[in-house]
Amino acid sequence: MIWLNWRQFRLQALAAAVGLALIAVYLLYLGTEIRDAHDAYQSRCADPGDCAQAKSQFQSAYQNTLLFLAGGLGLIPVVIGAFWGAPLIARELEISTHRLVWNQSVTRRRWLICRMAFVGLAAMILTGLASLLLTWAAAPYDAVAADRFGAVEFGARNVAPIGYAFLAFILGTLVGLLVRRTLPAMAITGVVFLVLQFSVPNLVRPYLMPSEKTTLPMTTQIINEARSLGSITGAPVIGGLQVPGAPDAWISETSPLRTADGRTLGDSKFNECLDTPPKTGTGGTFGDTAACLSKLNLHVDIKYQPGSRYWQFQLIETGLYLAVSGLLILIALQRIRRA
Amino acid sequence: MSHEDSVPVLRAEGLTKRYGRRVALNGVDLTIPAGRVVGLVGPNGAGKSTLLNLACGLLEPTSGSLRVLGSRPAESAAHLARVGFVAQDTPVYPSFSVADHLRLGARLNPSWDQELAERRIAQVGLNPGQKAGRLSGGQRAQLAMTIAAAKRPELLIFDEPAAALDPLARRGFLENLVEFVAELGASAVLSSHLLSDIERVCDHLIVLCAAQVQVAGKVQDLLAAHHRLVAPRGELDRLPAGVEVVRMENNGQYSRALVRTDVPPPSIPYRVEPVTLEELVLGYMSRAFAAGEGTR
Repeated sequence: MIWLNWRQFRLQALAAAVGLALIAVYLLYLGTEIRDAHDAYQSRCADPGDCAQAKSQFQSAYQNTLLFLAGGLGLIPVVIGAFWGAPLIARELEISTHRLVWNQSVTRRRWLICRMAFVGLAAMILTGLASLLLTWAAAPYDAVAADRFGAVEFGARNVAPIGYAFLAFILGTLVGLLVRRTLPAMAITGVVFLVLQFSVPNLVRPYLMPSEKTTLPMTTQIINEARSLGSITGAPVIGGLQVPGAPDAWISETSPLRTADGRTLGDSKFNECLDTPPKTGTGGTFGDTAACLSKLNLHVDIKYQPGSRYWQFQLIETGLYLAVSGLLILIALQRIRRA
Repeated sequence: MSHEDSVPVLRAEGLTKRYGRRVALNGVDLTIPAGRVVGLVGPNGAGKSTLLNLACGLLEPTSGSLRVLGSRPAESAAHLARVGFVAQDTPVYPSFSVADHLRLGARLNPSWDQELAERRIAQVGLNPGQKAGRLSGGQRAQLAMTIAAAKRPELLIFDEPAAALDPLARRGFLENLVEFVAELGASAVLSSHLLSDIERVCDHLIVLCAAQVQVAGKVQDLLAAHHRLVAPRGELDRLPAGVEVVRMENNGQYSRALVRTDVPPPSIPYRVEPVTLEELVLGYMSRAFAAGEGTR
């Protein structure tokens, strides 16, 4: 079976190797560049007045590139599912070669197990190496940005991509077996996996471990550290807060601004502060608005995951993907007996 | 023959296969003894492919039982090794060379006979380096047949093996196929919608029509048991016990009947003529079609 696996997979393997080599060359180059830029930023920090600006310059220089890379490498599992998984059985059924290969002295289940093991392993090695390279290249940036739990960043670093790739491949294989046609199977696999990848960070990841709760008083300082205030509907919300003393914690839920008695702040009062705050000459991102709001004695309730749980989250999520893959493998092994 | 007592190569009891509402096989009872070259004949859509795909385990019966060489089809790797199957349209991997296919056979079959495979490839003039996607239909059939045979199975199943060949090449191909099966010492089942394909090469015949086996048996037994009776019209309405009318034709003042009888012909008081295999098969097929239309 190993020979047959290799014979049927060698072109895809070659394409993957070439792709990985290109990614590696670019990421090695980028990684060195980021390290140089990081050293430059550190040396400017000798002067404390310059440090904050140097830091934000360093961050913004690489933020988009790294986000784009994380998104791009995040597509590798989708490509694997559609191009390696979906045709694995569907193509054989389409050109009838299953009638040839399933009549050799190898049972259908064993054939499927061998094929899934071989290509599945290749998928995990490919994404594992790509993820390793990106994790290395982005390491200085990640240490500064403290946003390892970001929806895109989390899924593109360390071990999580390995679980994604394996599930995408197994999903594609099963869809191919059920749909029996390559092109529809590729399309279905791609769509289903993309929907999954957009849902998990929002609907599943926050609940992998019970979150910590805390209340943040809305002082002028805390409001000025936030990224956004208000929404397009004028609701009294605040976004992009940080847990004091734990900048790498992941805030998964933030309540609207609440008054001392626990009620949500009325829209009119909020908009008054937003539009026509009394002039006090307060500085910072939100200036007079921040001062106005802080006088209302407000707070928000937040749910968050401490940054120290990062590796637990990586492992739990990878394990979850592998477990779902295992379930799909069992279904495929059942189904192939009656294919 | 010692084969007669051994386990039948195929035994079906009440074998039924439905695709949705369409019934492809309807309660088929069938036993094929070992050591025969069996021809499975019937019109297109009669259920031949379904029966053969069930026999090699590519399909599962809807109900009823099917044993091949005493086991459930494709039950284990060891059982797969005992049955060789050449599917309709002889699928091969287009990007694999002829040699790659032999390598596939060698890697996946413990009982693989490389010498036999190479000899046969040379005999039929296939170039080992050629990509299978570029082979003609006939060459592909030869390649698929070689892969199935070189694992040295006890039973070889061919689903319409000559379908891709032109009429001139068919006979030679089939005769060659049967010689080859004999050399392997295997039993064989081959299907065709053309009786002419198989009447020369098979010693056992199964007529499959309208999802059921119409008649099955050794060719010489079938010929010995079937006769044509010719008598004045009306005379054939009452026949002695043990004489079964397969098909009756009234032609002017005379009736002609294809009958199956266990009674030796001289005891029947009519003109008795021998029948050809073709008449026999056509008789059963027309009966099946007439019955099918009667129930509709």
